[in-house]
Amino acid sequence: MKYWRITRRLLMLAAASALLLGIPAAATAYASSATTGTGWIRLAHLSPNTPPVDVYLYAFGDSNAMIVLHHVAYGTVSPYESVQAGDYSVAMRGAGASATSQPVLSTSVTIAAGHAYTVAGLGPESGLRLQVLEDKLTAAPGQAEVRVIQASLKQQVVTVTLGSTVLASDLKFASVSDYQPVSPGTQSVTVSSSGGTANSSVTLAAGTVHTLVVLDGASGLEVVNLEDASGSGTPPAGGVSTGFGGTAPHGPGSPVPWLVVIGAGSLLALTGGLKLRRGRQLNAGI
Amino acid sequence: MPTRRPAAALALAAGLAVIAGGTAGLLLTRHPTQAMRPAAAGVAVLPAPTGPIVAPPQSAAPKPVAAPVSLTIPLIGVRTQLITLGLTPTGELQVPSSTAVAGWYTGSPRPGAIGSAIIVGHIDSYSRPGVFYRLIKLTRGDRIYVKRTDGTLVEFRVTSVQTYLKNRFPTEDVYGPVPDAELRLITCGGAFDTATGHYLSNIVVYATEVS
Repeated sequence: MKYWRITRRLLMLAAASALLLGIPAAATAYASSATTGTGWIRLAHLSPNTPPVDVYLYAFGDSNAMIVLHHVAYGTVSPYESVQAGDYSVAMRGAGASATSQPVLSTSVTIAAGHAYTVAGLGPESGLRLQVLEDKLTAAPGQAEVRVIQASLKQQVVTVTLGSTVLASDLKFASVSDYQPVSPGTQSVTVSSSGGTANSSVTLAAGTVHTLVVLDGASGLEVVNLEDASGSGTPPAGGVSTGFGGTAPHGPGSPVPWLVVIGAGSLLALTGGLKLRRGRQLNAGI
Repeated sequence: MPTRRPAAALALAAGLAVIAGGTAGLLLTRHPTQAMRPAAAGVAVLPAPTGPIVAPPQSAAPKPVAAPVSLTIPLIGVRTQLITLGLTPTGELQVPSSTAVAGWYTGSPRPGAIGSAIIVGHIDSYSRPGVFYRLIKLTRGDRIYVKRTDGTLVEFRVTSVQTYLKNRFPTEDVYGPVPDAELRLITCGGAFDTATGHYLSNIVVYATEVS
């Protein structure tokens, strides 16, 4: 008997502590990681006199490539790939070279969750390097953002304007300007250099981020408009109300309306009953 | 001989009837109702829609894409037209007036264009499951298809399914800009607050276009 009482106390104690421990556990289940733990990477060949290459992306410490892009020629920029945040390495080999051969170039890149990167082969073939650029995702409200990558070897110094805005002044070969906010819309891009100028037109929507790449074209300069990111023009505020509860568990309904009904019924019955009784008494009195 | 008082007799009878009705109502509503939960098995799995599946957008001069018309999620038996949604005067997302269809927020990128396309649907009506009732059943790797006005299909792969309390909704993660073509499916979930008539949480499915 005594043992049973002790056991029961212990059981109750265990149940109480489980309840206490259970509450914060349930709370943290909702405060789940805001991000999904992924970032983005894209690969580019922007070295004018370097022949096509194969580009490999490895997760750090894994000798099997996650992504292989074959025969990437000058001016090619891949779409973004979403990958788990972490450390990676990028290697370039001559197009068609064995996957196990010594790479011509390699570099490491750390991808943070929610961030995007461009790993670009930049410079002349003799001084080729793999550069990691961090790409912007968010434009200022109602604006677009633009930067310039100067990848023309023929015209080593260029000035790039968008409408009347100077995006990059005297930008040297194999260098990258900072992003800057511009008004959205379709505008003309002018690339001027000592060897002449080139014009084109670009459309930049509000909420988008772009990189303009200046390339050596077949004849003169070319401008490639990369879309780095895009969001909702006007992001909605907060969550949504998308349910009426028809499939949700419900606790017992409130008893108050029913009690009011019973009260009203009682009142009605009482009034009727009293009147009946009074009628009988009056009859009896006559 | 007693005087007849039909009004009094009627009141007494009606009163007793009302008491009986009220008592029955009170007793019948004393029991909590169980949650309707998606059945583990027996969900009608739909075939994947057929049509030309387009490649994800390029970084360089991405092509404009057509507007979305329908959404198919084979694994949870969802096939719905997509209506268009805007914002409420207070800047929140509109929701479809019908609980049986989903809607695409026209202020977000079109599905298959660079950015996060936002699609919203109800989990339930006052009495029955809505179009996104089984959304919570999706897991990483499941496929989602969006058909567009030009007949092309975009195929998405689920990357994550999250439940957020509405008062801690991560606006930037859900609606914010991204560099690839992504999709967000949003509905309600978690506990239901009978006092306000709203669920306390949102379920968000994150998906990325399949390359």
